[in-house]
Amino acid sequence: MPAAIALFAFGAVTALLSLLLHLGTLRAPDSGFFPLVLGVMLMALAALHGVQLYLAKAPAAPAAEGSARQVVLFVGAVALATALFDTLGYTLVSFLLMLGLLQVLGVRKWYVSGGIALVSAAAAQVVFVHWLKIPLPEGLLSF
Amino acid sequence: MLESLQYLAGGFVLATTFQNLLYCLIGAVVGTLVGILPGLGPIAGIALLIPATFGLNPTSALIMLSGIYYGAMYGGSTTSILINVPGETASVITCIDGYQMAQQGRAGPALAIAALGSFVAGTVAIFGLVLLAPPLAEAALAFGPPEFASLMVFGFVVLSNVTGSSLIKALMMAVVGLILGTIGMDPVSGNARFTFGYAYLLGGIEFVAVAIGVFGIGEILVNAAKPAAQLEQHALVPRFRDLYPSLTDLKRAIGAILRGTGIGFGVGLVPGPAPVIATYAAYTVEKRLSKHPEEFGRGAIEGVAGPEAANNAATQSAFIPLFVLGIPFGPVTAILLGALLIHGVTPGPLLIAENPHLFWAVVASMYIGNFILLLLNLPFVPLFANMLRVPKRILLPLVMLFCVTGMFSVNNSVPDMWMMLGFGALGYVLRGWAYEGAPLLLGLVLGPKLEVAFRQSVMISHGDFGIFVNRPVSLVLLLATAVFLLLPLIKRAVRSLRRKTPPPPPGETGSSAPAQGQPR
Repeated sequence: MPAAIALFAFGAVTALLSLLLHLGTLRAPDSGFFPLVLGVMLMALAALHGVQLYLAKAPAAPAAEGSARQVVLFVGAVALATALFDTLGYTLVSFLLMLGLLQVLGVRKWYVSGGIALVSAAAAQVVFVHWLKIPLPEGLLSF
Repeated sequence: MLESLQYLAGGFVLATTFQNLLYCLIGAVVGTLVGILPGLGPIAGIALLIPATFGLNPTSALIMLSGIYYGAMYGGSTTSILINVPGETASVITCIDGYQMAQQGRAGPALAIAALGSFVAGTVAIFGLVLLAPPLAEAALAFGPPEFASLMVFGFVVLSNVTGSSLIKALMMAVVGLILGTIGMDPVSGNARFTFGYAYLLGGIEFVAVAIGVFGIGEILVNAAKPAAQLEQHALVPRFRDLYPSLTDLKRAIGAILRGTGIGFGVGLVPGPAPVIATYAAYTVEKRLSKHPEEFGRGAIEGVAGPEAANNAATQSAFIPLFVLGIPFGPVTAILLGALLIHGVTPGPLLIAENPHLFWAVVASMYIGNFILLLLNLPFVPLFANMLRVPKRILLPLVMLFCVTGMFSVNNSVPDMWMMLGFGALGYVLRGWAYEGAPLLLGLVLGPKLEVAFRQSVMISHGDFGIFVNRPVSLVLLLATAVFLLLPLIKRAVRSLRRKTPPPPPGETGSSAPAQGQPR
């Protein structure tokens, strides 16, 4: 049910924002016409799905299997890496990201996770920066 | 026909340049690895590799990305047979008999027959592509905006009908994808839509961010959430000398391979996740035709040969609608369409006429790629299977690092990385709610095309929506769409009618019920 409600709301917001655009006419639809149709269609489908779930008295959809904590830590680590990407630079961020993710996944010994992170960051530097010539930010290590 | 073969010869000249051979090899190897590693399917694999193709010309890029697609189909069977975990969804059915063969010490013949079947099917299907694509492209030239609009609606509905368990959920995802596709500049008038004054959104939602996010990061997060015991799998890797099948194995497999090829090729032309449907259809046919149906589920080699041939044939024939109509009928070809558009190539009826070098070189590279994959998959299977020994605790962070790097390299943009992460979280949540990501991606890719076709149709007809039903091809497509929409209701009605019918007295029932979890 939460998914149906969220999708209904998304459709409603789309439809409302479309009304602020030029709708045009049926002979010559303008920018807002197509998204308005889609928003209304999504609202209708979500409402239908909500009614289906209500009538079937279906149990709540099963939550994603496993540990939500691990997922939050994973997303948090990548978000932090993204925020610091320009400031710290690619090499440092890739080392820290690998280190963090390995720790989250239970590679607890620091010399093991540190070693893997170091080798991965160095390999990424060689492949992406030197071979593929991708202009990745140098950040703190730009000397 | 003769003209096609001449063009194909020209394609071979282009495909056998050192550079293109190298990219074909890279695509085949990466595809095999993507297929072998459970949880990283061809969609995520191609999405991750798109940024790496930006420095290439469109022909080399498509050769490499296509190699990943059909390479994944070869590689996917390895984990199904060795550890009973499909490397990608089209290899699910191979688990049934492939793993049983491995349990009986016959993993080698199972792997070899899977590779041989894939090679035969791939090669035959490419020949079909050569024969069918040019005349179909000519026929498709008669399509106008109403036909294309109806065809896209048909594609959405069929894909929604065959992916996942719920039609309504898949349709909602397709509409969400279409809405996301409207963000940015209006393709007809050029007005800004839903950008909230943010210049970054003028270019629209970054397709690669959605693809890597929903499929790549979403998959990583699902795996990261698993307990350590569920995360790691242990494989028994066969030795090189154990790989060769016996003459009896070959005799039993050859018919299944040819039938699987035919089924796969046909199914590949229809909208939907063709390789997956093709494997189920091929397995069902083999079981029905077999003189020993009781062996199915206990290690029948036909149960490996048929589906593996079918998924490869479907993979190749799925390129026909992509190249000829410019409309992907499945999620992987949708990603390939996105990659082509990024490279400035617009697939459609004019592709073969306007870009013959690209089209024929890619087709020729498929022949070469299939041969490379046979060479890779027969002697080097033990080597590839060793990849399964890399712990996922190390693999997942590496793939995440690859996602982050790949995403940044698309536009050298940190906001793209945020978008990827956002869609990754969305992909994880969608999996938890049992919503499919494929229709969303298809909606995002086809949204602008559908809108243009729809608006052009209405403008041509001066606001008369009858244009969609007055033109015969469009009408047929819309009727087919209606049938697919009503199909679940019809099925439900038939089921409830059957339930109301009293069961026949004992002794009059069918003799055998299918084993649990197996298709009939």
